Amino acid sequence: MKKQIYLDYNATVPLLKVVKNSLIDIMDIGPLNASSIHYYGRKGKYIIDIARENISELINTKQNNIIFTGSATEAINMLFRNFDTIVVSSIEHLAVLSSSKSDHIIPVNQDGVVDLNILELYLKTLIKRNKKILVSVMWVNNETGVIQPIKDVVEIAKKYGCLVHCDAAQALGKIKINLEEIELDFLTLSGHKIGAPTGIGALVYNNDVNLTPLILGGGQEQGMRAGTENILGITGFGEAARFVNNLTENNCSKVKFLRDYFQKVIKNLSPETIIFGEKANRVSNTLLMAHPNISGDLALMKLDLESFSVSSGSACSSGKIAKSHVVSAMGFDELELNSVRFSFPPNDAILNSENLITTKELDRLALYWANL
Amino acid sequence: MININQVIKEMDLEGDPSNHRVVVAMSGGVDSSVTAALLVEAGYNVVGLTMQLYDYGKAIQKKGACCAGSDIYDARLVCSKLGIPHYVLNYESIFQNQVMNDFADSYLRGETPIPCVRCNQTVKFTDMFDRAKNLGASAMATGHYIRRKTKKGHPSLYTGVDLSKDQSYFLFATTKKQLDFVRFPLGSLTKNETRSVAKRHNLIVANKPDSQDICFVPEGKYAEVVRKLRPGSVEAGNIIDVNGNILGRHNGIIDFTIGQRKGIGIGGRKGVDDNKSILYVVGLDTKKNNVIVGPKEFLSCNKIKISDCNWLIDLQQDSEFRVLVKLRNSSQPVIGTIKVNFDNTLAYLLFDQPQFGVSTGQAAVFYNINEISHILGGGWITEAPNKLAETNL
Repeated sequence: MKKQIYLDYNATVPLLKVVKNSLIDIMDIGPLNASSIHYYGRKGKYIIDIARENISELINTKQNNIIFTGSATEAINMLFRNFDTIVVSSIEHLAVLSSSKSDHIIPVNQDGVVDLNILELYLKTLIKRNKKILVSVMWVNNETGVIQPIKDVVEIAKKYGCLVHCDAAQALGKIKINLEEIELDFLTLSGHKIGAPTGIGALVYNNDVNLTPLILGGGQEQGMRAGTENILGITGFGEAARFVNNLTENNCSKVKFLRDYFQKVIKNLSPETIIFGEKANRVSNTLLMAHPNISGDLALMKLDLESFSVSSGSACSSGKIAKSHVVSAMGFDELELNSVRFSFPPNDAILNSENLITTKELDRLALYWANL
Repeated sequence: MININQVIKEMDLEGDPSNHRVVVAMSGGVDSSVTAALLVEAGYNVVGLTMQLYDYGKAIQKKGACCAGSDIYDARLVCSKLGIPHYVLNYESIFQNQVMNDFADSYLRGETPIPCVRCNQTVKFTDMFDRAKNLGASAMATGHYIRRKTKKGHPSLYTGVDLSKDQSYFLFATTKKQLDFVRFPLGSLTKNETRSVAKRHNLIVANKPDSQDICFVPEGKYAEVVRKLRPGSVEAGNIIDVNGNILGRHNGIIDFTIGQRKGIGIGGRKGVDDNKSILYVVGLDTKKNNVIVGPKEFLSCNKIKISDCNWLIDLQQDSEFRVLVKLRNSSQPVIGTIKVNFDNTLAYLLFDQPQFGVSTGQAAVFYNINEISHILGGGWITEAPNKLAETNL
């Protein structure tokens, strides 16, 4: 069998070795139901608290609560049920678009950046009719990797007395999230995007806001998310957070080199290929592109049969590939079925812990793309 | 016991199986699953493809219909079990344009369409073919019960060995060019043999019931689907007899098929309850929006016109010859004489014995009169004048 080349890190980062070891360690401790009053219960609770601390350090927050959920999607669903009026951007993940059921959609420009002028105009009008508005804009788009002007979004939203949620699933581990600097009311996170196991997410929220939980029961997670805590998931999330916490300005330089190298080779070999969000401020690991004559699903199948794992548009659980609402929101309607995403490891630390992707392999991939 | 060497021989691909990628069109049913299983066993490099054809959420789901929502998951499970890649092709808009719309329009023209043939003709054997070729496949295999045999380097089509499952009626439109690329590994198997292979591989679909209906028509209620697809174009009208007398009302001619006897909705007529006076639908007048009913003799049809013919044999120009012809999937072939026009696309067929209840929109599929299993070709019945044509209605 050929060596699998994995370039779908925005979908899932493989479980980190340090995370795996931390999970094995706690598996050996014993029964860890954090709600129990006895020795093992206390042990479990302590492990969860440490994980919570690691995550709060990663996003630099002291005042906010962190609630563990089964996924970022669950966290978003729980949050949104507390609001009747939610203003979202047109490029949000389906977790936001579907669960918000929102008609209040703010467009993006051709580079995939949310239009702040329209946001302001929109809120100005909307605030006259609605009291409690939630603005939800993602930090980093999962398809294009384009970084959204979250600081400005918060500023505008606050001006009109709105609360702000940010889906930071794709920002975590790729860029610095500093909640001391940007006063978000709600932030949602996903563990497996930084090398934790799947099945663990988190909602970060401001203490002053009263939220109604989605799942009722035994009162775990301060009454906000019932059900015995997923201690393996939580431990893994905390450990992964600790691993990527030493993020500095330059810690994506290797990743950026590989992405930019690949982009350059693609441009040389396949000049007709269109690269999305190239002019915008993008995270270092993501490259969304489209060949005008090749449908995304065909490209994906052919690449997969050649042992390249990438992704295309948004696939539903049946495996059916639907058109990309992100590409179409950027004004490229004719390419909404053609886009293919290549995503490298989120940062150098994770890149180094993986099998290093070589420029030789990227050359081969680019050549294959050019001759699809 | 199935002989794998026989499967490889019938695949008609040169060299070692492992050198060939073969795409299997997988519906999630037992037949296509076993097709994939046999080809994996034979050593081919197999890729499963499943078509997503319409929005299952919108159509009411029904067990027993092909390609219902859960079928995609079945196909994927089978592929995982067999250890082969599986992909879903999103053909919703193509299917809507080429099959469902055609289906609705055909009923509105008073015909009885066969969407499964249209689907084979358009989506499956064109778009899916192209995809298979794009994926570098040497062939595309389906789970149809029909045989492909190569004689003197030219492939021909033969009925499936299991005649109770033979699908030649639905595949008459397969072109010679398509026949070069398509393979039917189940053609020499009986259904029981197929199920035994599924059991041997422990496939979850081993006991799955066969599909009965048109996949996008839940519970056989085709008229509901037509009304949904073409809102406002179905109108109520009169049910009249062959003399033009109004016997009752109907809610749309799409609810009726030529030859239909039950459920016409004009029961309880005085003094006409003996067998000879049983009324059949003998005509659908789309211009006046009338359903015409009459005794069985009015259904009698001596000749038909067949359009868009597809031939799997080499024809002489203006040829006239004797054939066996199937007018419905479920009926036995009958004998007639066919006369083909100069470019072979049109044909007229004169039956030896009058046929009853022939409907336009259905297919006429021709078989070799000397070798009944050999499929010669077929076409669409565009004219089927019955005795009603002699009246002025």
